[in-house]
Amino acid sequence: MPRKRPRRLASALILVAGALVLAACGEKYPNSTFTHLTEFNTIIDGLWNRLLLLGTIVFVFVEVLLVFTLIKFRRREGAPEPKQTHGNSTLEITWTIIPALILVLIAVPTVKAIWETEAKAIPGALEVQVIGHQWWWEFRYPQYGVVTANELYLPAGRTVNFQLNSKDVIHSFWTPQLGGKRDVIANRTNYIWYTPDSSLAGSVFNGFCTEYCGSSHANMRFHVFTVAPADFESWAAHQKENAAGSPLEAAAPVAAPKVASVAGIKVSRAAKPAPAASVQPATTGYVFPLDKMPPYTLPQTPLPVGDREVKYDDSLLPGGDASRGHELVTNMAHMGEVPCLTCHIIKGEYKGVLTDDNAKAPNLTHFATRHTFAGGIYRADAPTLARWVKNAEHMKPGSLMTTLGAGQYWPSMKQTRTTGLDDRQIADIVAYLLSLK
Amino acid sequence: MATTAATPTFAPHTAASYGQTGIWSWITTVDHKRIGALYLYTALFFFLFGGLEAGLIRWQLAQPNQHIVSAEFYNQLFTMHGTTMIFLAIMPLSAAFFNFLIPLQIGARDVAFPRLNAFSYWVYVLGGTFMTLPIFFNSAPNGGWFGYAPLSTLPYSSGLNIDFWVMGLQILGISSLAAAFNFITTIINMRAPGMTLMRMPMFTWMSFVVQFLLVLAFPVITIALVFLLFDRFFGTNFYEIAAGADPLLWQHLFWIFGHPEVYILILPAFGLVSEILPTFSRKPLFGYNVMVYSGIMIGFLAFGVWAHHMFAVGMGATADTVFALTTMLIGIPTGVKIFNWIATMWGGQIRFTAAMKFAIGLIALFTIGGISGVMHSSPPADLQQTDTYFIVAHFHYVLFGGSIMGIFAGIYYYYPKITGRYMNETLGTWHFWSTFVAMNLTFFPMHFSGMLGMPRRIYTYDAGQGWDTFNMISSIGAGLLILATLFFVVNFLKSRKSGAVASGDAWGAGTLEWSIPSPPPDYNFAEIPVVTSRYPLWDLKHPERTAGIAHSAPDVMTITGAHATPVHEETGHKTAAELGIPMPFNTVKPAIAALAIVMMFGGLIFMHVGHFAVAMTITISSACLFVGTLYAWLTSPLE
Repeated sequence: MPRKRPRRLASALILVAGALVLAACGEKYPNSTFTHLTEFNTIIDGLWNRLLLLGTIVFVFVEVLLVFTLIKFRRREGAPEPKQTHGNSTLEITWTIIPALILVLIAVPTVKAIWETEAKAIPGALEVQVIGHQWWWEFRYPQYGVVTANELYLPAGRTVNFQLNSKDVIHSFWTPQLGGKRDVIANRTNYIWYTPDSSLAGSVFNGFCTEYCGSSHANMRFHVFTVAPADFESWAAHQKENAAGSPLEAAAPVAAPKVASVAGIKVSRAAKPAPAASVQPATTGYVFPLDKMPPYTLPQTPLPVGDREVKYDDSLLPGGDASRGHELVTNMAHMGEVPCLTCHIIKGEYKGVLTDDNAKAPNLTHFATRHTFAGGIYRADAPTLARWVKNAEHMKPGSLMTTLGAGQYWPSMKQTRTTGLDDRQIADIVAYLLSLK
Repeated sequence: MATTAATPTFAPHTAASYGQTGIWSWITTVDHKRIGALYLYTALFFFLFGGLEAGLIRWQLAQPNQHIVSAEFYNQLFTMHGTTMIFLAIMPLSAAFFNFLIPLQIGARDVAFPRLNAFSYWVYVLGGTFMTLPIFFNSAPNGGWFGYAPLSTLPYSSGLNIDFWVMGLQILGISSLAAAFNFITTIINMRAPGMTLMRMPMFTWMSFVVQFLLVLAFPVITIALVFLLFDRFFGTNFYEIAAGADPLLWQHLFWIFGHPEVYILILPAFGLVSEILPTFSRKPLFGYNVMVYSGIMIGFLAFGVWAHHMFAVGMGATADTVFALTTMLIGIPTGVKIFNWIATMWGGQIRFTAAMKFAIGLIALFTIGGISGVMHSSPPADLQQTDTYFIVAHFHYVLFGGSIMGIFAGIYYYYPKITGRYMNETLGTWHFWSTFVAMNLTFFPMHFSGMLGMPRRIYTYDAGQGWDTFNMISSIGAGLLILATLFFVVNFLKSRKSGAVASGDAWGAGTLEWSIPSPPPDYNFAEIPVVTSRYPLWDLKHPERTAGIAHSAPDVMTITGAHATPVHEETGHKTAAELGIPMPFNTVKPAIAALAIVMMFGGLIFMHVGHFAVAMTITISSACLFVGTLYAWLTSPLE
């Protein structure tokens, strides 16, 4: 084999590596872990820099030594038999001790960082409960009485202590720009905390599930909005309120209807009819402005095509009526075809046996304050919402939400629906959802 | 000579009764060399199949938001890629070498239990097929190769996918455990006179450590799988979260197996490199004693590091600290090996055959994987790295850049011994360089995409996240890797007929396997030699090379009172009958027993398609078949 070839190939490799490094410095990396935006990430990044430095030194040393050996001691014609060395104790001790010392340089700051970052959060931290579901994130703020999904608002400059739990399989809660990850596991509570820097007011970050959790693991994303403390208080106060359009006096019927029944449900004679005129007005609280969301936080997920395409006539959407949608979704007479409230809670509306703890689907009370939905993979715009309502499982593989559109194929049930919603009803429901500010 | 219970009465057999040609002779063989060849061909097939699965994965991930494959199929692909490569490719490729080489290296005529050896192979190939066929029906395992509960429990995986996985892995475990008992017995009992443990060739030594890892680690995953099997089929609650189970039980059990498993995957390759470097540097292995002790240390420490796979699960600061420190510790004996290999080549006369290139490639690439491994050992830093493509980069450097490179080296090196012909060196060079470049092109960018936020095990990713370029480069690399492998496939198949003819001592090496013809006769050694040092053939042909190490007296008495033969090169081709060596009978009983095992486990799956009676019929009748075959096997003589 000609001797020049390995050298030429080696040079080619170096060029490729160089190109990679240049590429790394050039583009925008919105999910890079190399940030100092929280004290948690600053500690981790410090450790990483040390690991990278030591790793590079070892890499260069070993590879250069190897290449040197290969070049210097390649076979030459007529050369004498090489010296038959069998070993050398001094060398063995040296190249055991030196790596051990290098490892000490890693171990000491590592152990220090472990104890620092796994200490209890400071008292007075903002408490956020993170509950993983297949395939969406539930966020609760017990100190504020707020239950929401997929969009996490945090006040910049304040320590947040996350309590992590799962309602089903193992997921992992990860905001790469803000800190390391922690698994969310059923039957145990994990903790992780960090303090987003106060300069981060008005920022938004991507979050990901990072433990394989089934069909739509790739689609279980979320967003973190770090906002000014006053904006956060405004947001939280508003999120706590009942849904716009919900009856102000909640007159729950005494008899809870069966969740799976088909026809209209009789309201118990004993219940008082709700006064028609008295409804929760639409109020406002702080919402992160959509136009301030950087492009990498706005999903570009294409609508499904081929045999998963969900056809919908978008021209029906402007004619969607929110009050008709409200009637469809919240009147238990339509429970069979519009079973939304058997899984979703809309605070102030009928909820039957649902509690925050047993609701299987995201809380929709202030759905219209969210810019994305379905685990952060779609923009919360009318055409997408319509297709979602019509056939969620086609829109998101494995989705546990019922396929609602009439004539739609329902994959997990392996059947095509004969009854169901028509496109006009869907337009009304979408209009209602978008009114839930 | 293989041991039998009764006093052997020699009854000469004709060549016909050995049936050395035809498919039936392969199905009934108990010859370790043939079984080794069967493992090699089967495992190479699964390696290519797993590579195609990877090709589909990389095609899907080449660009954001693609729909080359569905989410469900992608999840089957990545599960089966991992499962195939670990259990159906790398482990059996190592087994091919255990089978073929260990008896030859220690101067034995076969393994301790030749029929058990055949049984291990048949369980592997039938179990592997059982686990692979479902992908053609969109029912392949889809819970990841690690199958975490509760995702793998019935409420969250109600299809047959996980059932195939649980049963398949149980079946394969039987294969590995049987082989481990076989090789431990072989190595302890059947070494040639004069071959002390510290004179065993490095491949045999590393394989010896691996067998103990197998014996101690596989029972743990067996238990983990039994719990899962019982949960899925018989209604128990080991992992059922609705009943209050702690999902971490699965993870601990799995990784107590899983971490030793990765050393099972790498140590044989390390052993092969330790054989190849001295031969092509024309000097002995540097630091043999340290290489043996570091291998043993790695095996021992392997059981103390498992929870470094669990740094994100919230074990608490104490556990994180302990496992961080043990993980860093295991880096030391591993690093020591790298230095000893370089020192072996230092001062030598390096001959760059294809085998040598791949061995050197392992040193270069495993170093990278080892460094990223040390980076994972720091739990706080690992909280950014774990479950991202940074980890994918790490383990592909150690598994592809380590195990696969070492195995390719071993194939080029031992092909002449197995077949009697050399593989083509030019094609080998093309194979090496194209693999080396393509491998780096595929896996190096993953270090970047991982630290820049890309999670693992996702069937697609959105645009604009900063990962597009890295994924495109990786996918191009993967395509090139598939092409590079074609050089090997062509070479492997062609050289059987057209390769240059090889003598017994094909490379000028120093260990016993090179003192017999290529390919070896069915009885291996006409006369078992006395071994006087670590490099018996160099003692004979290049005594100056072994002048610096301990030797023992060449005159040793055998148990029959005769003078044992000194090391010699065998060139003749007398048959076993002419030499008076009793050979074991071919038998189909191991293959039938293996089939019975697979049907026993596989039959249970009918319970999940509503046919309880069918399931019980198949399982119980297969169990009876197994017991019956085993009885016939145990009561018939080996030779």
